[in-house]
Amino acid sequence: MDPGRLKENFAQVAMHGDAVALFFYSDLFLRHPELRQMFPVSMAGQRDHLVRAIAKIVSEVGHLDRLTPYLRELGRDHRKFGTLPAHYQPLRASLLATLAYFSGEGWTPELAADWEEAYGQVSQIMMEAAAADEMVNPPFWDATVISHEMRTLDTAVIRVAPRQRLTYLPGQSVAIESELRPRIWRFYSIANPPREDATLDFHVRMIDGGELSMALTRRLTVGARLRLGPPVGTLTLDTASGRDVLLVAGSTGLAPLKAIAMQTAELADAPDVHLFVGARRAEGLYDLPDLEKLGALAPRLTVTPSVSDDPGYWGERGSLPDVVTRSGSWAGRDAYLAGPTPMVEGMAAQLAAQGVPPQQIHVEDFGWSEP
Amino acid sequence: MTAFPAADGRLTPDAIQSYAFPSARFGRRGLDEGHVWEFCRLAEREVVRLLNERTSLADEVQRLRRRVLAGPAAGSGVRPDDGHAEAVAILSRAQQAADRYVADAQEYCRQLSDDARRLGDEILAEARSRAVLDEAHAEAGLAAGTGPGTPAAQDGSEPGELEAQLAYLRTFSDVYRTHLHAYLDRLLRNVEEWDRAEKETLTVVHADMSAPPDVPPLPPLPRIPQ
Repeated sequence: MDPGRLKENFAQVAMHGDAVALFFYSDLFLRHPELRQMFPVSMAGQRDHLVRAIAKIVSEVGHLDRLTPYLRELGRDHRKFGTLPAHYQPLRASLLATLAYFSGEGWTPELAADWEEAYGQVSQIMMEAAAADEMVNPPFWDATVISHEMRTLDTAVIRVAPRQRLTYLPGQSVAIESELRPRIWRFYSIANPPREDATLDFHVRMIDGGELSMALTRRLTVGARLRLGPPVGTLTLDTASGRDVLLVAGSTGLAPLKAIAMQTAELADAPDVHLFVGARRAEGLYDLPDLEKLGALAPRLTVTPSVSDDPGYWGERGSLPDVVTRSGSWAGRDAYLAGPTPMVEGMAAQLAAQGVPPQQIHVEDFGWSEP
Repeated sequence: MTAFPAADGRLTPDAIQSYAFPSARFGRRGLDEGHVWEFCRLAEREVVRLLNERTSLADEVQRLRRRVLAGPAAGSGVRPDDGHAEAVAILSRAQQAADRYVADAQEYCRQLSDDARRLGDEILAEARSRAVLDEAHAEAGLAAGTGPGTPAAQDGSEPGELEAQLAYLRTFSDVYRTHLHAYLDRLLRNVEEWDRAEKETLTVVHADMSAPPDVPPLPPLPRIPQ
């Protein structure tokens, strides 16, 4: 295999933009119409994912060993979509047809062989990871909604009971699919540490026009069925550090941090934990009663609510980073941040300025900003 | 005598199989010689014609093969897999249309919620500022001992003054409460409208929608300097 030749060929093909992935999926569905139902109606996001994944793989094509963790994760993760080893062959055929089509005159038997070899290696790693995971986990966890509360106009707190226990660490997330929106998966953090009865809480904020969040907030009812993907995410408590903990949660970024706060309360040698929870207005503090109860039960947990956009609020006012920064010095603590992108970025910058070392700042970026 | 069977005069395997030669005339043995010769001539013509046809078909095959081997540019531009490429293009266009419809619906939904949220914010802010103003009025009135529009005139006597203040307070409290009710009603109506508009955008309306939306509570009246 000639990695340089392959990269050059991909760069050339990729210049055709969205047309490449469009051709790929159309070719695939024409040859194998039965595969169409594995994908959502709108394929725009899907095409984006495909091209980005291929670009990532191609960039490391000479050293696929560097990508092994990523590819194994990809292989495991695709189980929830119903991907089987038999699907890799049609994908290979359509990928080669697509590359040949867009390469035009430049398509040679050598290039075809390069791509065949690279695809073979990648699919091998993915299939092996999926097969190994199959021995341990179901492809997804079926769950039933057992309670659904609208806490504000656009925030719901949902409790679900999975049919099989889902093992995870507090702070991790799972992808959720609803029968209301088949084939659309979105990640949500679990808002509680593992419970005896295996139930899971999710905090869902309705994103305007959000394909899944609108269904989960406004249409989901008790008894509805959800599918949960395997737990992912690295925003988990460093129990070995021995340091006290700072938790900063914007909006539904509270979910993973509440799980971590509850986890610390159960530790034998509980650290001091200060949880800041922010919203634009007082009514956005959708979980305050529960947090107050939690604070009362956990003597070493302090909860400070704050509001950024409500001059009449009785408590702490201002942006979360400002409120946290003026409330003390956090240099000696492990910080965990979750919420809208600007808040997380701003907070991380201010903590760094306060002298909190980067390895003590743990971040979960929710990827949106508050309207 | 049996006529040669095919209407166009061509000899078919079936005709050969079923052809019945008439017997020779009386006094002679065997088949009618004239008919046999006639049949042989017909068979010869047919074989010649078939050979000619075969040759011209072989030429045609050669010509077409050369054209295919010469590649698409040499011929009419028809490529063997053009059907597939065309199908891919059609399916791609259909997918793009579907993507656009979904994106439009999402954008519409986004705008709708955005407008509703902004309207809700405005109404809330207005209600708040009015409440603050009213309270400031009342406080100012009380501090001066004579509210604006205080009904009872001051006669200097202490019980009279207290009575006037009490009356003013009562009046103000009633007015304030009425205002607050009106604002809350508007807020509620707006929230319901928001909810209804959103439900209409969804295809299925659940009879058992989980719960009516929470109306954000008015915050405790702040004491803000003007």
